[in-house]
Amino acid sequence: MSARYGMVIDLDRCTGCGACMVACAAENNVPPLPQATPRTGLTPLLVRKVSNGMEGGAQREVFIPIMCMHCEHETPCVSVCPQQAVEVDKATGIVMQMPQRCLGCRYCMTACPYHARYFNWWDPQWPAGMEKSLNPGVAVRMRGVVEKCNLCHARLHAAEEKAAASGRREIDPADYIPACVEACPTAAIRFGNLADGKDPASHEAHSPDAFRLLARLGTEPKIYYKSKEAWVKALAEPGSGPAWEDQHG
Amino acid sequence: MKVTRRDLLLWGTGAAAGLVLTPVPWKLLGDVSIWSQNWPWIPQPTHAPVEVKRSSCTLCPKGCPMRVRLAAGWPVGVAGVPSHPLSRGALCPLGFGAHQLNWHPQRLRTVLHGEKSSSWNEARIAFAKALREGPIAIVDGYPGRAASLVFDSFAQKQGGSYHVVPSPEIRALAPYQALGGVPAVDLGYDLENARTVLSFGAPLLDGWGIPGRFNHLWAERAAGAADPQLRLIQVEDSLSRTAARAWQWAPIRAGAEAALATAMARVLLEEGRVSARVPIPALTLAEAEQQTGLSTDAIRGLARTIVARPPVVAIATDDNPSIAALNVALGAVGTRGGIVRRGKKAKSYPGIDTIGSVRAVLIDSTVPWDFTPSANAEVFRFAAWNGASSRAGGADWLLPAPGFLEELTDVPTPPTSAVETYAVAPSLVKATPEVQSAAQLLCGTDTDLATVEKTIHARCEDLFQARAGTLYGDATMPVAQVVSVEKLEEQLRSGAAWIGEDVSSERLRCELKNWPTAVDSPSSRQETTWGGPALPPLASKLYQESNLREASEWRKA
Repeated sequence: MSARYGMVIDLDRCTGCGACMVACAAENNVPPLPQATPRTGLTPLLVRKVSNGMEGGAQREVFIPIMCMHCEHETPCVSVCPQQAVEVDKATGIVMQMPQRCLGCRYCMTACPYHARYFNWWDPQWPAGMEKSLNPGVAVRMRGVVEKCNLCHARLHAAEEKAAASGRREIDPADYIPACVEACPTAAIRFGNLADGKDPASHEAHSPDAFRLLARLGTEPKIYYKSKEAWVKALAEPGSGPAWEDQHG
Repeated sequence: MKVTRRDLLLWGTGAAAGLVLTPVPWKLLGDVSIWSQNWPWIPQPTHAPVEVKRSSCTLCPKGCPMRVRLAAGWPVGVAGVPSHPLSRGALCPLGFGAHQLNWHPQRLRTVLHGEKSSSWNEARIAFAKALREGPIAIVDGYPGRAASLVFDSFAQKQGGSYHVVPSPEIRALAPYQALGGVPAVDLGYDLENARTVLSFGAPLLDGWGIPGRFNHLWAERAAGAADPQLRLIQVEDSLSRTAARAWQWAPIRAGAEAALATAMARVLLEEGRVSARVPIPALTLAEAEQQTGLSTDAIRGLARTIVARPPVVAIATDDNPSIAALNVALGAVGTRGGIVRRGKKAKSYPGIDTIGSVRAVLIDSTVPWDFTPSANAEVFRFAAWNGASSRAGGADWLLPAPGFLEELTDVPTPPTSAVETYAVAPSLVKATPEVQSAAQLLCGTDTDLATVEKTIHARCEDLFQARAGTLYGDATMPVAQVVSVEKLEEQLRSGAAWIGEDVSSERLRCELKNWPTAVDSPSSRQETTWGGPALPPLASKLYQESNLREASEWRKA
């Protein structure tokens, strides 16, 4: 039976520390890019700060980790890619980006409703010697291609290899935990197989507090968010809640 | 047969059209993409089997335990240790990029004398000369380590002095020494049993104390709940990350923390809501309103709220005596859920303000860069990374120290912990010959000193003899069940952590005769207590590529 990997991110637990962003970049050999700006940076996982727009003691902020939502249905980036460089993996539900096929046309970036794709403007570079600290399980990517979160696919490969080595067909869920999930100090990100009703992540995805961003588009994203606060839930659809700050402006 | 120009054009067009229908151009396009990933200037990861070892982060005194993935002997990834009862698997964002720090562009690898390159030999000669000519002062930013004992012993033998730069969390506990006679280094917060935490600007959710400890408590007992088990009330002049997620945020004017603490104590004492025998402060609510910007009703409301769900503890960011006095009034000192005594062993050392007239000052690599000795002395500064604006950072001698996990060190009890802890951070990376720690220099100068290695062994023996506490390694085991001191040391050197027993039941006697003056208190704004000596390159994700943090925060930290 195929899995449908996804996440439920409890926004009430997120403190905006940014550990997930750094852990993601370290795991996926994302270069530091000291020349990058909010417009040109490469952040497969980006935590955004959003205010409720109130003043004084009533002011509140929420931190929202944004990454590829791994849309299940009519995946926008898949349908627009002229190179078939993006596909939804039938076995896992993960939206895969194949940099070898990518031409760098950035059509997918335009199509992505979540702005969760990033163009790699520069050759991957690290200070001299720092290449020794790169994760051997993940290749570095060339410039001129589009990058995004792949739910730490290298970790899934490692889990599959481990399962195969021990004669199992299915992976042990404990062996496949994305870097951001592992790094979160408040356990705000719950990861799992949403198609498995017994998986805690699947259970949380059906909680009354769970919601998805831009759900009305019908793309069935597999990244869920969760909050008890009404103003946070209202952020799911533009126009119905406080305005998101312009991250890339 | 005559081939015409028309035939050539037709053939060429047909061939081009045919080629497009074959997989050849698409295959070539794909191959070009793959080839272009492999230019000689594109770095490639080291392909070697990955092994995981345990150690502790030594970038700041919090000493979070970590699992380090190594390939071909080099660290390629860092993660927390979920089984550790205090850190609960958490690391700060800087910790996750720490494995890249040894190749940081600011990494020091050369001895600098003034602005010129020099050598270790010349530095040793200069240090020996300074020792002969007068007393020296040694400054330590991470007291309690085996290296700290080396510093203290050396200073004593040479007739010099040993000074410490306390962390902000330890500074905040300093007033209780005057009130109760217990050194700040022996105190901690019993957060696990607190039900209301009143923070005066302390970044409790942003690296304060042991980052994973309060984060987990808050996430499990408070996050998102309208009436949480643990009430976090943040008093701060602006909406910090902690204020944004607190149960309640009380915005006050910058620097008015002391006035608010005093006014709240007045309300509680006047209304008989606390039983402590302390005098009523002279500050009126009208004066407090003027200073804090909060109305008298708001101050009264806040005071009633904090005692509505005891135990309550107030946490400061500095040695604010008014906040300490509020804790005494609340009965939060020496009680469950408050400020507790965690041990009786720690020695209190003088601060940097007591450095007198000395011939030279030796500054350890753990001392923050913003410390510059005011004494007119020759400065020998150790550093793994140059965090100064100038080349030598104002030091006469800038000496390259071991970097991340390049030396064996130990990790004493982190600030704010309610129990004593001990861990050993084994060296997982071979240090380059051009670096040397301050303890190594001193042990080389005085060969009778006990080295860091010997001191760690002695501390393991002490732990073994005491037969108390629990060892958290691959398995959890009471020390009483460890068969030998060698086994205990072996486990600690493999990254296990020792956690002592709860001794917080001992009540502390704190006496408050007069209320401290609640005016002109310094602003206690503190963005974060991350204390790394240099920003890992990947921190660019936080500081440049997102709206999460302002670049100025790093310099304030």
